[in-house]
Amino acid sequence: MSQPDRSKLPIQSAPFGGVANRTLDGSKPDWSTIGHVDVPDGAPNVLVVLIDDAGFGNPATFGGPIETPNYTRIANEGLRYNRFHVPALCSPTRAALLTGRNSHAVGFGSVGEFSTGFPGYTAFVPDECTPIPRILRDNGYSTAAFGKWHLTPDGQQGPAGPFNRWPTGWGFDYFYGFLGGGASQWDPCLAENQKIIGTPEDFYDEEDPYYLPDAMADKTIEWLHAIRGQDAEKPFFAYFSTGCSHAPHHVSEAWAAKYKGKFDQGWDTLREETFARQKELGVIPADAELTERDEAFPAWEDAPDKLKAYYARQMEVYAGFSENADHNVGRVIDAIEELGELDNTLVIWIWGDNGASMEGTITGSFNELTMQNGIPLTDEMQLQLAERYGGVEAWGGQMMDPHYSAAWAWAGNTPFQWGKQVGSHLGGTRNPMVVHWPERISEHGALRTHFTHVTDIGPTILDIAGIPAPTHVDGIAQEPLHGVSFADSLTDPAASEHHTQQYFETIGNRAMYKDGWWLAMKTARIPWVITPDALKPYAPGVWNPDDDPVELYYLPDDFSQARDLAAEHPEKVQELKELFWAEAEKYKVLPLMAPLAGFFGMLPPLPAAAKHEFRGDVQNVLSGMIPRIYNHSYTISADLVIPPGGAEGVIVAEADHLGGFSLFVDDGKLTHTYSMMGVFVFRQQAEEPLPEGDVSVRMEFAADAAKPATGGEVTLFIDDRPVGKGRMEHTVPVRFSGYAGMDIGRDNGGVVDRSYEDRKPFAFTGTIKKVVFDVNPHTSAEEAHELHAAEHHGHTAHALSA
Amino acid sequence: MKLHDTIDVLIGGYLSKDAAEEDYNAVLECGGHLQGAVVVSKDLEGNLSVEETDHMVAEGAAGLGAVGFAVGLFAPPLLAATAIGAAIGAGAGALLHHETVEKLGEQAGATIPLGGAGLIVAYSHSEAEKVEPAVTRAIQQAVGEAEGNHVKALKGALADAQQKMAEHDA
Repeated sequence: MSQPDRSKLPIQSAPFGGVANRTLDGSKPDWSTIGHVDVPDGAPNVLVVLIDDAGFGNPATFGGPIETPNYTRIANEGLRYNRFHVPALCSPTRAALLTGRNSHAVGFGSVGEFSTGFPGYTAFVPDECTPIPRILRDNGYSTAAFGKWHLTPDGQQGPAGPFNRWPTGWGFDYFYGFLGGGASQWDPCLAENQKIIGTPEDFYDEEDPYYLPDAMADKTIEWLHAIRGQDAEKPFFAYFSTGCSHAPHHVSEAWAAKYKGKFDQGWDTLREETFARQKELGVIPADAELTERDEAFPAWEDAPDKLKAYYARQMEVYAGFSENADHNVGRVIDAIEELGELDNTLVIWIWGDNGASMEGTITGSFNELTMQNGIPLTDEMQLQLAERYGGVEAWGGQMMDPHYSAAWAWAGNTPFQWGKQVGSHLGGTRNPMVVHWPERISEHGALRTHFTHVTDIGPTILDIAGIPAPTHVDGIAQEPLHGVSFADSLTDPAASEHHTQQYFETIGNRAMYKDGWWLAMKTARIPWVITPDALKPYAPGVWNPDDDPVELYYLPDDFSQARDLAAEHPEKVQELKELFWAEAEKYKVLPLMAPLAGFFGMLPPLPAAAKHEFRGDVQNVLSGMIPRIYNHSYTISADLVIPPGGAEGVIVAEADHLGGFSLFVDDGKLTHTYSMMGVFVFRQQAEEPLPEGDVSVRMEFAADAAKPATGGEVTLFIDDRPVGKGRMEHTVPVRFSGYAGMDIGRDNGGVVDRSYEDRKPFAFTGTIKKVVFDVNPHTSAEEAHELHAAEHHGHTAHALSA
Repeated sequence: MKLHDTIDVLIGGYLSKDAAEEDYNAVLECGGHLQGAVVVSKDLEGNLSVEETDHMVAEGAAGLGAVGFAVGLFAPPLLAATAIGAAIGAGAGALLHHETVEKLGEQAGATIPLGGAGLIVAYSHSEAEKVEPAVTRAIQQAVGEAEGNHVKALKGALADAQQKMAEHDA
């Protein structure tokens, strides 16, 4: 049977080959017209697994302390790759993985929440760079994605789309997961295909509560069974992208308890232990050196003794959370095996997308968003806040959104320096990869040391499937793939290394790799410090990247980047510097620090809308899309109908007790609760009950000044009559939540005010005609501009750490 | 006990009841003679709890509640600045006057933030070396001192502590 022309997508149908006369008399059907495109012969199923915010030294499969029996099983039946590389940030890695092209070149120099006016940072994939799932789908694969997405711009995550930025627009037939960079594992605000479906109903099941990692595996297995129920042959491409191990670190106590006491030795010793195991396993060369601790990380012995249990608990939860991810990936693999298809399924399992995350700051946090909101808290404060929400034993449960200390992340990146966001060093750019394909890989458990990069995944899949990268899609000429296939290395340990040159850049931290040499150019900024003072040195006209210190490593002899050769090879330094600039121009990396443009006055146009009206029972408005109520005065008003006997319930609520607000009626009285990231909680209540019938209520926040985190006075009104008041000393400057949504008429998921926890979601028992936010009361044009700048700074801060 | 002693009052602010109670218990067990100690906390649902020693009551003195211990000082000024330059601080509250623990609680209910807690400990200055090291978890603390008769000294020391806390905030 002749193969169709796959160079242009969609694949053109063959002309009708039958005969169609005026009647059936003499007519001859052509049954190929009602068929569908078949994959090339021998194209296997493909399962790509991507673990989030994890490091080279995390899984036991690569010498880490976290038990990963399924990863080890797959590695022992397949291949370990120990020189696999990624950009040092979430979205860029995902964009590169799913397009086979460099992240900047496809608009993802930074994270999906943050679009700038520079081509490398739009968060919009150009039409000339059609994603791999679309190519696979158009060539006959069933495609689905589960879990974390993080490739849809913040402002486009609602029912108005546009949906070409959503997973289905990238070529996935089915999607179940979350669009943002992180999510609660207990009460995520989920999307399914092109709809935000919110918090799963099982969240309210106290005996058997919802848990996203379990549900992801369930949904994946369900999807596999469904497609096999319809078509026994059609190969699948499943992208299983876990929310784990990104914050919030959520896992049940049974998993965390497995690690009780396992990290009491601290992060310094943990690195040494991991390093020793890595050598024993042979996943790093015998002559590799353990890199030194940077002074940005404290020594474990300097941590206060009274806080060591607090710190140890952070890592216990992270480890349990990660092992659970391994468990659930194992369930999916088992299901494929049960279908009898594991032998012919190419499994590519990458443990981490950017090294482990240091965004918990040194202290770790009971609430990951405290860092993004720039709230400086000492370790004692963090511990007390953890106690407020149940104590360290509740770390990992529903009451907190925890992130561990940056020092644990550094330990998780053993034997390398640094971690997430640091594109100049291997801690942020080198992650474990395992490839499993029994039908072709016979050298079970072998190690591959080829320099590989996440852009190679797509080309490798296409190569193995026998599908060419299309020259045209929807009539648009396509940019060639930037990655190269490493398929030959699956069967040939002596296969030559194809990926010989690669640039890296993440928020100014950059590197240039060529033929074993690695030039590292790290900015002085500590990744978890996003204060104005920390960013000022990168202002236009101030920063000259060529003045940054450089380090030079020769990786074939120096696996971990322990020996800086820059002083000995100035000519190589210069050569790689120049090559970096050339590559940066070619792949749209310029201007460097584009994600910080907003900090330096390059602001997008001011939004025109000052009023936002919600009618009916609009629910699950994602946190990046709620009205802009930060840092200035605003009002929330609602037109209600109170039935005879009164009403109770939530009128409008955003997020939860760890950051959010709720305007609700309790005991007949209008009440407003505002959680400043769970650190401060303010509540005001009317002094009289709501009357029956039609009534208008309003909450007015009169800011002390239009400035970040401003305090101010709250007044509650019934029919324009003040009925209650109170002060909020501090307000949230950047963002209430990384994932939780806003709801009209109820408080989905975790609640804002704990007093109605036992009545959640505390749906309103009267009628809500409409809720209106006025986000621009009494603000001058000058103030509006300043606030726009401040908001954008905050947005940038969030984007820097999403 | 002398009629005119130097009285120290330590006040501490906390983000959790657990931490405040830990310090409260530590001062009770520190071996120093206390004139009184009070720990006040409010949970996230707004429920207040007040616990105090009855040392002074046992000694026939007025008790802490009678000298007007401040409760408006437990909104710890713990956030120096946000990443985008917001200075955040909460001032110490005004000195309040109470007659009873119930009143103390009533006032605290109006001023202690949800989820916050505070500790007040009164002791002779000579006991400071035993008492003060026992307080290890306060987010912010201040010690005031004053001389005079019993109640007068307590009031004076409290006012001094509050002043120091306020200066720390500024």
